[in-house]
Amino acid sequence: MDFARRTLLGQMARLTAGAALVPLSSLANAGINDQPPRREGDSSKRYAMLIDLRQCIGCQACTVSCHIENEAPLGSFRTIVSQYEVENEDTGDIATMMLPRLCNHCEAPPCVPVCPVQATYQREDGIVVVNNEACVGCAYCVQACPYDARFINEKTQTADKCTFCAHRLDVGLLPACVESCVGGARIIGDIRDPDSQISRMMAEHHDDLMVLKPEQGTSPHVFYLGMDERFVTRPLADPAIWDVRDNEGKEIGYEFAGH
Amino acid sequence: MSLLATEILTPRYELAWYPWAVQYFFMIAISYSALMLSLPGLVFRRERFLPLARLALLVAVTCTLVGPVALLADLHQPARFWHFYASPAPWSWMSIGAVLLPPYVVLTILYGYFAWRPALVTRGAEGQGWDAKLARLLCLGNWQTPQLAVIVFGALAALFACGIMLYTGAEIAILASRPLWNTNWLPVMFVLTGLIAASGLVMLLNRLMAGANADVYRQGLKVILVAILGAAVVAATWFIQGMTGYSPSVQAALESVRHNPDWTAIAAWALSAGVVLFLVTVAMLRAPKWQRWAWLLGLLAIHMGWAFRWLVLMEVQTVAKNTAGYYHLAVEAGSYGLLGIIGTFGLWLAVLLIIDILVPWRDVNNARSATY
Repeated sequence: MDFARRTLLGQMARLTAGAALVPLSSLANAGINDQPPRREGDSSKRYAMLIDLRQCIGCQACTVSCHIENEAPLGSFRTIVSQYEVENEDTGDIATMMLPRLCNHCEAPPCVPVCPVQATYQREDGIVVVNNEACVGCAYCVQACPYDARFINEKTQTADKCTFCAHRLDVGLLPACVESCVGGARIIGDIRDPDSQISRMMAEHHDDLMVLKPEQGTSPHVFYLGMDERFVTRPLADPAIWDVRDNEGKEIGYEFAGH
Repeated sequence: MSLLATEILTPRYELAWYPWAVQYFFMIAISYSALMLSLPGLVFRRERFLPLARLALLVAVTCTLVGPVALLADLHQPARFWHFYASPAPWSWMSIGAVLLPPYVVLTILYGYFAWRPALVTRGAEGQGWDAKLARLLCLGNWQTPQLAVIVFGALAALFACGIMLYTGAEIAILASRPLWNTNWLPVMFVLTGLIAASGLVMLLNRLMAGANADVYRQGLKVILVAILGAAVVAATWFIQGMTGYSPSVQAALESVRHNPDWTAIAAWALSAGVVLFLVTVAMLRAPKWQRWAWLLGLLAIHMGWAFRWLVLMEVQTVAKNTAGYYHLAVEAGSYGLLGIIGTFGLWLAVLLIIDILVPWRDVNNARSATY
C-alpha cells in the first residue's frame, strides 16, 4: 500500500510542479474559503525557490542566517533543514537525507483565505506575507498551513513566517538563507523571466522537480531537485530526538533516543 | 527497496490554540443547545416544557455571556479584536463568525430579559426589600412587557444560533491541513455533543437549583437519547466511509490510534463513555424511579461534551503535520492552561449566581396575567 501510494504521490508531485508554471486565473470575487485578491508587490514577477538537494550538506547555515536576519525567537524557525538517517533494509547501507523546509509561497495558500482580518495576504509577486500590526494572533493560519511553516512569534504575539526575505528582495538583495548557503543549493528568482537562473534550471530539470504534499492542492512554489518521493509527504520515520529537562522541568538540551 | 528512516533533527512546535479554544467551543455549544431546549416552553408555549425552558434559558444566557470571554482570551492579541470589524474578510469562516456572534449574544440576552421581566415586575411590586428595589431597577421603567417580544427575540436568537452551529463547525472542518478535522461530519458531531452536554447541565441544575423536577429529568434524558443515537450514527457513517472508500480523516484517526497509546486510551474511553451514557439513559427512561439520579448522568453528559472538544481541538494539534511522532501537549498551570480552564468555569459560576440573585428565573410563566 505504502509503495503504491508514495509512487502515486511522487507522480502527482511532478505533475503539480508543472502545473504551477501556468499562472492561475484571477481569484477575485472570493467565495467562502476562496483566495482573496492579491495586493502589493510587482505583478510582473513571480518569485519561487528551487532547492537542489544534491548540493545541500545540512550545515544549517540557512537556519542560522535566517534566524539572525529575521530575529525569530529562540526555538522558532522560519526555515530549518530537517535531517533523517535513512537505512536501506536490504543492504544495511546508511545515508543522510537533508530536507530544507520553509514557507512554500503556494499559488493557492490555504493560510490566506482563513485570516479573519486580512492581515496575511499574498503579494502580486506570489510572496505570502503577514502584516503583524493587523494580525490579531488567532493562529487560524498556523492551523491551516499543511507545512508547519507558520508559528506564533512569542515576542510579537502575532503570526510569523518566511517572507522569502521580501525586504531584501525589494532592494535587490538575496534572501539570507540563499546568501549564506555554502553549497549554492537554494536558488531564488522570478519564474516569469525565462532567462533567470531558476527558470533555466526548472526548464532543464522539469521532470525531476518535486513539491511537498502535492495532494493538498496548494501548488507550492518551492521546488525540490534530487528529492526522494518518500519524503514528499509526512515521512514515515521514527522520531528520535527528545528534549532533556532538569528536575525543575527546565530544558537543558537534546539527546538522541537510545544513546 | 525499503527504507528505515529516523528523524534526527526537527524543531518542536508549540500548540497554537490554547485550552481557551476548548472553553469557547464548549460554552457556545451549550449556549446554542440550551437555547434550542428553551424554545418549546417559551417560544412555542407548551406548558409541559416550561420547567425545562426555565432552566435551559438560564443555562443559555449564562454560557452566552461567558463563551465570548474565552474566545477573546484565545487570541494572542485580544486588544485587537476590533480588527475583526475594521477589516472583515467575508471569505473566512472566522470572520463570518465574528459578525454572527455579537447579534447572537445580544438577541439571547434580550430573549432572556423579556422572558424574565414579568417575574421581575411581580417581585418589584412585592415590597420594599433590596431585592424588590433591584427588581424595579432591572425593569427599566414602568411599561408592559410585550408578549410577542419573547417569541420574536427567541426565534431570532434561534436563527443566529444556527449560524453559530454552522460557523463553529465549518471553521474547523475546512482545514485540509489536519485530516482529522477535515470532515463534514465534524460540525454535526459538535452540535450533537453540544446537545448532550446542555441536557446534562440542565439536569444537574434541575437537581441543584430547581427542586429536581421529574419532567425536566425525563425530557432531558430523551434529548440525550436522541443525540447519542445521532452521534452513534454519525460516527458509524464516518467510519464506514473511511473503510469503503478513501477518507483522509478516518485514515489519520486509525493511524493515530494504532501508533499512539494515548490515542488508543482516548478512543477506548470515548467509546465506553458513549455506551454507558446510552445504556443508563435507556434504563432510566424505562424505569422512572431511577430518574432522580439523572443529574449524576448529567455529569457524564457534560464530561462527554467537554472531552470531545478537548480531543478534537487539543489532542489533534499534537499530531505533527510534517515531522515524525507527536508534539507534547503540556497543560501549564497559568492562564494559558489550567487557570484558563478553571477560570472560565469560575466565571460561569459567578454569572450563574449573580443572575440567580438578581432574577426570579424560577417564576417565568406563560400565563397572560403575569405579563401585565
